[in-house]
Amino acid sequence: MAWAALAVNWLLRPKRPQVGDQRETYECGLKTQGPTWVQFRIGYFLYALIFLLFDVETIFLYPWAVKFQVLGLFAFIEMLIFIGILILGLWYAWKEGGLEWL
Amino acid sequence: MIRYAWLVPLFPALAFPVIAFITRRLRTLSALVGIGAIAASFVLSLGILWETLTSGVTMEKPVEYALSWLALPGAKDWVLKIEAGVLVDPLSAVMLLVVTLVALLVEIYSVGYMHGDPGFSVFFGYLSLFSASMLGLVLANNFFMMFFFWELVGLCSYLLIGFYFHKPEAARASLKAFVVNRVADFGFMLGFFYLFLMFKTFNFRELAEALPHAPHMGLLAVAATLIFAGPIGKSAQFPLHVWLPDAMEGPTPVSALIHAATMVAAGVYLLARAFVLFASIPEVSLLVAYVGGFTALFAATIALTQRDIKRILAYSTMSQLGYMIMAMGVGSMTAGMFHLTTHAIFKALLFLGAGSVIHALHEQDIFRMGGLAKDMKVTTATFVLGALALAGIPPLAGFWSKDEILLAAYSNGYTGLYILGTVVAFLTSFYMFRLIFVAFFGRRRAGLHGHESPKCMTVPLIILATLTVVAGFIGAPFVPHGFSSWVYFGEPHHLEPNYFVMVTSTLVAILGIYLAWLIYGKEVISAEALAQRWRSIHTVLYNKYYIDEAYLWFFRRVVLGLAEAFHWHDRHVVDGIFDGVGDTVRWSGYRLRYLHSGSLPVYALVFFAAVVVFVLWVATPVIGGIR
Amino acid sequence: MPVWELLSVELLTAFLGLGLLVLGLLVPKGQKRGLGYLAALGLVGIAALAFALREAQGVVWEGYIIDPFGTYFKLLFLFAAILTCVSSFEYIGRLGNGEGEYYALIILSTLGMMILASAGELITLYLGLELMTISFCILATYRRGDMKSAEAGIKYIILGALSSAILLYGLSLLYGSTGSTLIKDISLVVNSGGVTPLMVVGMIFLLGGFAFKMAAVPFHMWAPDVYEGAPTPVTAFLSVASKAAAFAAFLRVFFVALGDSHPLWAEVIVALTILSVVVGNLVAIPQKNIKRLLAYSSISQAGYLLLGIVAFSTLGVGAILYHSMLYVFANMGAFMVATVFYNADKSDEIQDYAGLARRSPLLAAVMLFSLLSLAGIPPLAGFVSKFYLFMAVIDQGYIWLAILAVLMSMVSVYYYLQVVKVMYLGDPPPGRPAIEVPLGVQIALACSLAVLFLFGIYPTPLTNYAFSSAAAFFH
Repeated sequence: MAWAALAVNWLLRPKRPQVGDQRETYECGLKTQGPTWVQFRIGYFLYALIFLLFDVETIFLYPWAVKFQVLGLFAFIEMLIFIGILILGLWYAWKEGGLEWL
Repeated sequence: MIRYAWLVPLFPALAFPVIAFITRRLRTLSALVGIGAIAASFVLSLGILWETLTSGVTMEKPVEYALSWLALPGAKDWVLKIEAGVLVDPLSAVMLLVVTLVALLVEIYSVGYMHGDPGFSVFFGYLSLFSASMLGLVLANNFFMMFFFWELVGLCSYLLIGFYFHKPEAARASLKAFVVNRVADFGFMLGFFYLFLMFKTFNFRELAEALPHAPHMGLLAVAATLIFAGPIGKSAQFPLHVWLPDAMEGPTPVSALIHAATMVAAGVYLLARAFVLFASIPEVSLLVAYVGGFTALFAATIALTQRDIKRILAYSTMSQLGYMIMAMGVGSMTAGMFHLTTHAIFKALLFLGAGSVIHALHEQDIFRMGGLAKDMKVTTATFVLGALALAGIPPLAGFWSKDEILLAAYSNGYTGLYILGTVVAFLTSFYMFRLIFVAFFGRRRAGLHGHESPKCMTVPLIILATLTVVAGFIGAPFVPHGFSSWVYFGEPHHLEPNYFVMVTSTLVAILGIYLAWLIYGKEVISAEALAQRWRSIHTVLYNKYYIDEAYLWFFRRVVLGLAEAFHWHDRHVVDGIFDGVGDTVRWSGYRLRYLHSGSLPVYALVFFAAVVVFVLWVATPVIGGIR
Repeated sequence: MPVWELLSVELLTAFLGLGLLVLGLLVPKGQKRGLGYLAALGLVGIAALAFALREAQGVVWEGYIIDPFGTYFKLLFLFAAILTCVSSFEYIGRLGNGEGEYYALIILSTLGMMILASAGELITLYLGLELMTISFCILATYRRGDMKSAEAGIKYIILGALSSAILLYGLSLLYGSTGSTLIKDISLVVNSGGVTPLMVVGMIFLLGGFAFKMAAVPFHMWAPDVYEGAPTPVTAFLSVASKAAAFAAFLRVFFVALGDSHPLWAEVIVALTILSVVVGNLVAIPQKNIKRLLAYSSISQAGYLLLGIVAFSTLGVGAILYHSMLYVFANMGAFMVATVFYNADKSDEIQDYAGLARRSPLLAAVMLFSLLSLAGIPPLAGFVSKFYLFMAVIDQGYIWLAILAVLMSMVSVYYYLQVVKVMYLGDPPPGRPAIEVPLGVQIALACSLAVLFLFGIYPTPLTNYAFSSAAAFFH
């Protein structure tokens, strides 16, 4: 069945050579420069992780801020604990030299 | 006091590691620890017996408490439930007192007897371990626990028989005792596992309650017979009696404690504990009675011709154990247990007396002794008292208890066994006084001179001698609320004194003593002439009916022959198979190792493949609508 | 009982973990040994609290279940964590980096396991699982600069991510086909509506994810490599606690939520059991490295624990609880010895253990009795626990499975005794001094040994606790 489906597909599909951007990995957006198979510095990853930290924080903070009046004190304290833990993480990263570009 | 009954075995149980690991180098302290522990147990046992008798604890209303040791809940019922529990009734309370009393005196005696032995501390350690296991056996409330301690006393017996392990006879004797007991214990184990399969419990009381609803009497009889194998081995009954005489290779205090007073009586105690089982099957009871009666006669005849002082006493022990088992068989637990109690006292006395003689002379052949009465006054006096008790001369302890057994056989209609018992009474008094006239009186045959033993050995003798005089009265027929109202099965029955039985047994005993005096004391009749005249019988008796030889022949020819055959089979067939299996296992281990290449993609692939296979496996029937 | 009291064990654990992280930042380098002591003491305190609250029962915000079953597992994790901390002082101190974070990570992974054991809701469950896994990923690579440790970390991250992905996919399928992430709602749907093919796929995905954490064959491939490369205390913690956590979550999901579909997944579990017991024990035979040997032994132990799941009864769950608790002490005992030995000789090879009995009788004795307990030799506790597991399956009619497991136990005796043979009969290499065991480790070793003997000779207290917890689990 699977082979038959593939065969029918192959027979029926229009046979046109791919041109231009069609052969790129991403059809829209910027064109890639040079080979993609390169090594990154480990520092990028640390930055990315810390960026992710604040990204997630924002995602959580935004809806809370919108509904602040409805959610009340309980959510406020919860959010403080949440931010507190994140700040702890930032402090840790800072102290361990994660924010310095070597 | 009864609430603390579990402490009784615990004291000596703690003494053992203390002696083994801490005080081993300090000999005096080791002895003190051992004696102190058993003394504490003794005091506690005294209190327990007192409370049992005064606070209305009876055979029907025992005190039982248990920890569940291993309990598995099943779908409906308990899959398995084993308790570690204590059962205190007059039966176990009496037995506790007997064991702790004899153990205490024997340990005190050993301070003198084992003086200067390089294994002094170890000896006290073993004695403590033995006491702990024996007391545990007595207190056990279920078959499983009893068997555990039963094996442990067997182990202690093995260790103590082989205490002088540098002597080849001792090493061989310990091995023999161990092997013979293993055979018997295996039967015992099968028996109570069989009961467990039938009734789903090991507990004595629950078994007693379930017994009337037994599914099949025939199977029950098989189980009971298998259990009876245990007493046959432990109490040295025919045909598994061969280990007991050889066990005399151990130190004499050990013979007194283990192989006369307590451990060998464990078989009788087991019969008493499981009495309801035996009482409910008349055929098995009859078997028990006849095995006991036969052993009593059989051992007494062998004792007539032996020359070794300890072996005479060993055969006498076998014979008396036969009496007790016969009493159980004819349906009188009271008589059996009463004789066990008195016998423990006077047989311990006799063995300790013999030990005192051996300690002085370093000689065990009675025909190389003689005239010891002049050198060892205390030993002689107490020994004669013990022998009189064993012979059944009133009013000593042995008279009352032996009389009760004969009476039980007589009044329950076992006339044959009654006559047999009376004959054994005659033989007993004869061989005991043969020993006394030869060893203690008469001329010094080998010129050996004795000397009285130290105080720590004579004091236990005196205490035991006093008890030999007194102890019988607790069960004498004219004493109200005596032994028969403590330990009984069914209804406490008070037998009226039967003067016919009493007088006959006393007369017979006196006749035996008189005959012994004629032959060995006054030497009117020549012992040699008699031996010449009945040469063939004498030889057979002297060689213990050739049973050892028969077993030896059997083992050499049949068992070893079979063993050779099996050995060959084992070497060439079984080993081949198992080596093959082992090699296959190892080989497959080495092969399977290569699954682990260390390559990450392979790992991930296996993971995925497994998930896919399982999904297909489980989902196919669901999609196909099979389930 | 108020919410904060029900959650007190988890809250305190989280507080302890974060506090240690902060302290690690404040305490100057070179004086961080105190953090380890603090971690161990704090865990002991939390364990005492958990023990006091062992009867507590309640549901927090619908999705978090506090019951004796979960608390039993929490105690187990805490014991494992305490022993890990105690055996780490020396080992981690010598690595010279990240001493502060190490204990925080141990405690945070313990927190993850606790959440896993108590989760009554699928997202919470996943959260606990990830907290545990990510902590372990970091811990596995702790021997920085060591190729094997890096390899272990990478393998654990990639395969762990794979298994997490599959598990998460399974969770979403389950949610998709039942419309709820709450375990009790799912059980209602399964109970009334039966099983759909989609649900079956989700179920097997879930099973694969859990089996990965249990290290059950064929999802075990990561275990030997990771166990070998990770720092020894971490390996010990990984092999006992994360396995037990996976079992806790598995029992919760499959017995409660999917209990009514038991006939469907029962056969798969039987297959996993047979494979784990057979492969784990057979492949352990040729191993030369003590940590790899223990890895395969732990795979086979997963197989024995699966017997309790096969039984699918109170007896089976009780037997799992009993066995996993004793497995903690037996395995931690063996790994603690391996840690101390590595500190002294820098080797994990079995042949280097030659003559250990003469160099340190304590270490050799603990190794001996731990291995014998793992093999299930009386009078050690391992015998009783294996006996329970076998009885549980026999009770359900799987006699052949019990026989197979017993046969494979005999095989295990062979390779365990190989180690014992080397330790007791081998000659120590010349010039090697006696091994000194730090006091804390001595105490921990003695405790493990005492537990193995105590519950082997008198198993009842723990049996009662385990079986009553199991009964409460089924109520």
